Amino acid sequence: MIEISSPTQQDRIIELLTAINTDDVTFTFKEKKGISLYFETNASDLEEAAKIAKSAIKAEPWGTVLYFRSVPCN
Amino acid sequence: MNALTLWLEKYFLPIAGKIGGQKHLVALRDAFIGTIPATMAGSVAVMINAIIRDLPPQFFDGYDGNSIPIIREIIGINGFVWNGTLAIAGLIFVFSWGYNLAKAYGVNELSGGIVSTAATVAGLTFSFSGTLSGLSLDEGTIASINEAGWAATATDITAGGWGWIPLGNLNGNLFFTAMIIGFVSTIIFAKLMLANITIKLPDTVPPAVSKAFAAIIPATVALYVASIFYFVFSKLVPGMTFLDWIQETIARPLLGLSQGFGAVILVTLFVQLFWFFGIHGPNVLAPILEGVFGVAQIENINLFQQGGTELVLEKGYMWVRGSFDAYSWFGGSGGTIVLIIAIIMFSKRKDYRTVANLSVGPGIFNINEPIMFGLPIVLNPVMFFPFLLAPVVSVSIGYFATIAGLVDPVSQQVAWVTPPFLLSFLATGADWRAPIVTLVAMLSSFVIWVPFVMAANKVEPESAESAQE
Repeated sequence: MIEISSPTQQDRIIELLTAINTDDVTFTFKEKKGISLYFETNASDLEEAAKIAKSAIKAEPWGTVLYFRSVPCN
Repeated sequence: MNALTLWLEKYFLPIAGKIGGQKHLVALRDAFIGTIPATMAGSVAVMINAIIRDLPPQFFDGYDGNSIPIIREIIGINGFVWNGTLAIAGLIFVFSWGYNLAKAYGVNELSGGIVSTAATVAGLTFSFSGTLSGLSLDEGTIASINEAGWAATATDITAGGWGWIPLGNLNGNLFFTAMIIGFVSTIIFAKLMLANITIKLPDTVPPAVSKAFAAIIPATVALYVASIFYFVFSKLVPGMTFLDWIQETIARPLLGLSQGFGAVILVTLFVQLFWFFGIHGPNVLAPILEGVFGVAQIENINLFQQGGTELVLEKGYMWVRGSFDAYSWFGGSGGTIVLIIAIIMFSKRKDYRTVANLSVGPGIFNINEPIMFGLPIVLNPVMFFPFLLAPVVSVSIGYFATIAGLVDPVSQQVAWVTPPFLLSFLATGADWRAPIVTLVAMLSSFVIWVPFVMAANKVEPESAESAQE
C-alpha cells in the first residue's frame, strides 16, 4: 500500500493513479483519511511504486505546484 | 475546511498552477537552479576565504592570512574558483536561461544557450577608460604616455583601452539584462526553428552537424535583431550601454523595493499560505525569490569576496534569498523544528509525539515533510495561525537585527540542508552573532507555537482528522 498526502486535487490524484495500468504497477484506491489517500498496489517494491505515483502526479499540469507526499505504508 | 479546500481548488489553485506551470517562468526557475553548481562552488570558495582570511583578524591582532604559507596558497586557489563562478555568475546564468528556454520550446537547447549568451554579450562594453587629475607631469612623461596610446596633459592622464569586458558586466549586474535580451533572442530563435526556417542537410550528414546547421539562420536572425536593437539604443541613449540603463531604471529600483519590510513580509506570508494549502510556495514564487532576492544574494557574495563584510554593508543588500533560510525557515518552511521541540516538551498526544520524534532527524537538516504531513500541519485549522505568524515574527527579528547592524547581512550561499545555527553562521560570513539572532527568532517562534501545541492536547485525533475532510 502507498499513501499520498495532499490537501488538494484529491479526486484528480485518484483518477490519475487508478488509470495507471502498466505491466509493472497498478494502483487501486482503498480509502481516504484526512488529507491522505491510500492505494493498494501490485508492485512488490513499494518505494518504487511511491516514486512512480509521485512522478505521475508531478507530470500533470496541476501537479507541478502541488506540495504532497508519496510514501509506502502498511 | 472542506469548503475552503474546494474554493481553493476552484479559484486559487488554477492561478498558482498557471504561475507554477507557465513554461517561461519554469524555464526561469530552472535557469537559476541550473547555475547552482557554479554559484555553490564559488560560495564555498568565498566561505573558506572568510573563515581563514577574514574571520581570524577579529580575534587575533596582526593576523594576515595572505602572509601565512599554505593559508596564502588556499586563498589564492579560492580566488581562481571565484573567478570562474561568482565573478561571472551573470554569464553562466544567461547560458542556462537560453538553454532552458529552448528546452521549454522543444528546440536545440545548446544553440538556445549560445544564442542567449551571444545576444546578451553583444551589448556589453568592450572598452575601459579612466582619468587621473591633479598631476604634475613633465614633457618626457607626457610624450611617453601619449606614445603608449593613452592621453596625457601636464595635469591629467586619460587611460583607455579596447578589448576588455568589465567584470561588473558579467557578474550579478548582468542578470536583469540577461533575462530580457536572453529571453527575446531565444524566443526569436525558437520560433524560427519551430517554423522550420532552417538549412536542411541530407540525411547522410551526421546529426551533430545537421543540428548545428539547422540553427544557423534562426541564430543569425536572433543575433541581428539584438544587435540592431543595441545600435538603435546607442543612438537614442548615447554614452550608456543597455546594461547600464537596465541597471539604473529596472534592476536597482526593483532590488531596492525588495529590501522594504513590507515586501519581505508579503513574500513570507505568501510562501506560508501556499505551503499550508498544499502548494509548493517557493516553486510558485521562484521568480521573486530567485529572480530578485537570489540576484541580491549573488551581489552580496561578490561584494564580500572583493571587500569583506564592510563592502557588503556599504554597497550590498540587507535582505537576500538566504536570509529567509537563516532566520525563519529553520527546520523547513514555517520554522517547524521549533514546533517539533514544542511537541516533545508539551504535547500529551501520543500521535503528535510519535510524529515529532520521527521528524527530529530530518528537521535538523531542514526537511519538514514528515511533520508537515505526519501531524499534519497542512490544512490543520489548529496550526494555521502559528504556521503563518511564527515565520512573520522570526523574519521580522532577522530583518530588523540586520537593518540595525546587530548582525551582518547574509553574504554567502549555503546549502539549505545545513542545520539551522551553522547555516546562519556560515551565511553571514562567519558572524558569531547570527546564530544568536537565529536563537532569538527560534525562541519567539517557540512562544507562538507552544499555546497551539497545548490547545491540540484537547483535540481528539479523530475530530482533527474530520476537520480536514
